[in-house]
Amino acid sequence: MFCPTPWHTLKTVPNLSVELLPGHKRGLSFSNPVMTASGTFGNGLDYAKIFDIQRLGAIVSKAITLRPRQGNAQPRIIETAAGMLNSIGLQNIGVDAILRDIAPVWATWRVPVIANIAGESIAHYAELARRLDGAPGVSGIEINVSCPNVENGLEFGTDPRSASDLTYAVRRETDLPLLVKLGPNVTDIVGIAAAAADAGADGLTLINTFPAMRIDIQARRPTLGWGSGGLSGPALKPIALRMVYQVARSLDIPIVGCGGIVSAEDAIEFMMAGATAVQVGTATFRNPQAPLDIIDGLEEFMQREQILAVREIIGAALPAQRESQTNNAGGVAAGHGPQSDGAITGRALRPG
Amino acid sequence: MKLERAVVLSQEELYENTYLMWLSSPRVAKSASPGRFLMIHCGDADEPLLPRPMSFHRFRDSQSERQFAILYDVRGRGTAWLSTRKPGDGLTNFGPLGRGYATNPDAQNLLLVGGGLGMAALIALADQAIVAGKSITLLQGARTAVKLYPTDLLPPEVEALSATDDGSAGHHGYVTDLIPQHLSWADQIFACGPTPMFAAMANVIREARSRKPAQALLEERMGCGTGICYGCAVFTRKGVRLVCKDGPRFELRQVFS
Ligand SMILES: Cc1cc2nc3c(=O)[nH]c(=O)nc-3n(C[C@H](O)[C@H](O)[C@H](O)COP(=O)(O)OP(=O)(O)OC[C@H]3O[C@@H](n4cnc5c(N)ncnc54)[C@H](O)[C@@H]3O)c2cc1C
Ligand SMILES: Cc1cc2nc3c(=O)[nH]c(=O)nc-3n(C[C@H](O)[C@H](O)[C@H](O)COP(=O)(O)O)c2cc1C
Ligand code: FES
Repeated sequence: MFCPTPWHTLKTVPNLSVELLPGHKRGLSFSNPVMTASGTFGNGLDYAKIFDIQRLGAIVSKAITLRPRQGNAQPRIIETAAGMLNSIGLQNIGVDAILRDIAPVWATWRVPVIANIAGESIAHYAELARRLDGAPGVSGIEINVSCPNVENGLEFGTDPRSASDLTYAVRRETDLPLLVKLGPNVTDIVGIAAAAADAGADGLTLINTFPAMRIDIQARRPTLGWGSGGLSGPALKPIALRMVYQVARSLDIPIVGCGGIVSAEDAIEFMMAGATAVQVGTATFRNPQAPLDIIDGLEEFMQREQILAVREIIGAALPAQRESQTNNAGGVAAGHGPQSDGAITGRALRPG
Repeated sequence: MKLERAVVLSQEELYENTYLMWLSSPRVAKSASPGRFLMIHCGDADEPLLPRPMSFHRFRDSQSERQFAILYDVRGRGTAWLSTRKPGDGLTNFGPLGRGYATNPDAQNLLLVGGGLGMAALIALADQAIVAGKSITLLQGARTAVKLYPTDLLPPEVEALSATDDGSAGHHGYVTDLIPQHLSWADQIFACGPTPMFAAMANVIREARSRKPAQALLEERMGCGTGICYGCAVFTRKGVRLVCKDGPRFELRQVFS
């Protein structure tokens, strides 16, 4: 077995810190690249009792809506091969209660908290952003444009025009760091990513769950109460990874990778594909310590490989030249043929 | 909360398709109590993905440590895997989780009502209450005689009555039919079983115009067991609650009215 230099020969402790949004005027710096994914960590308060949440890079809140939502009927969760489906239906206490009861607690934490927002219309999203803007404890906003579990939830994310309108409407209401979280159920992720970037997103979170279902063969109907749900967990990882790679090689915008990450190795793959940070979701259901174990694993990997700063691995697996400059992806690397993506235009193109 | 390694002490098929497994997992056992649960990884590698919730079935002190048992039915791939574990094998788990039964200190006469595998959690409560000097009547219902929990394994002080759907043992009918005759005796009622049993119980208690406090241990499909996925929601009179965090113990009236 290959035995790399023992870590103690490294003179310095590896530097895990990342600046997610160097282009934003205040930026968004994390002590490490490992975040918790929306809807898989509550609002962080429960886990504050279970482990040292201050060790996390950042926390993303459960989706926040204008009014409280009870969520969908049972069953809301069902297991699948290497994954699970959920149709929670955006159960949450609503923005008023978040601002009154939860954000003040976030404000006492060192770890940044990003508010994930979801609405039924562009006006809802804009109002949510207005309400959250400037609230102590809210370090940024993540727009959930692709929640598959509410009526019309898919529409914003599936075409560049509405993704652009939505991003623009939110951008007008806030100077906070703004992440736009896209879903994978689209034919051209790069086009939608470019539209969000052009409309003012500071960064992109890729990806949300994939719409999916199971059938109860005894009852002869869909297993989930809502009918269908979103697929998450390891089954999603290769899809998410490719989307991160596709967007990163085409656009110059910070990316947060998400989907099926359960180990440090998974996180490293996402970073090498171009993600500046990663979000851990379903893995925490299996191992409540998963995000912390991934941070430890990252550090061990860096020590083993003698990597001084985690920043060094961001985009390490990307082709030397951006897609936009090669015209033909087929020549860049194996595995993404000339059929992919087509021409991209817009401000978001990675410059020379 | 860290993943723990439990060691299987023993495993036996106690009755048809129902297994009793004793485990040593000192840190989990320490703050475990009747009605609380733990999450168990039921596979050798990464599959199945989600851990399985299991109630604490019994406790004992042995070799200067507190040990616990689980009682489970083989239902699907997770429990099938569990049933192949041998003494000495390790089990990855975390817990204890949730809020367990809360006995009212003034309650002397406790009525326990179990349907099917609901017995898993009720017996821990019976053991504990007997030690505390309480009087226990345990009503258990099952589909058929071979699915009844063996009464000779109960503390001898427990008065046990049973009901079977097919009349092969005890009362021919539902366990809830047995409740009215014990209502005036009982100071507090504890139940665990399938949802229709809880609904029937709520009915019986209401029809008897009784206000006796009753606690039910609810079951819902779980993702995390720790209150972060919102998968296990239950709609109560006071709004939506999470079985894993706000429960699994709920006031019967709060959920079934
Ligand atoms: C708080 C709580 C305590 C429990 N205590 C016990 C116990 O002491 N003994 C026991 O035998 N069973 C108990 N159960 C039910 C037990 O968790 C399921 O029987 C078990 O998860 C089935 O797993 P499987 O892989 O064999 O079945 P599968 O059908 O393959 O499971 C697939 C998925 O469905 C879930 N699931 C299936 N059936 C149920 C169910 N009835 N309730 C909740 N989730 C389910 C599984 O956890 C898994 O995620 C408890 C459930 C809860 C919520
Ligand atoms: C139970 C559950 C609830 C979720 N809720 C939200 C949500 O409210 N908002 C959101 O943007 N994403 C939500 N997601 C998606 C996750 O944040 C993440 O994008 C997805 O699960 C993929 O990552 P994973 O495979 O690591 O879980 C949810 C996922 C799960 C499993
Ligand atoms: S099982 Fe996840 S919130 Fe209860």
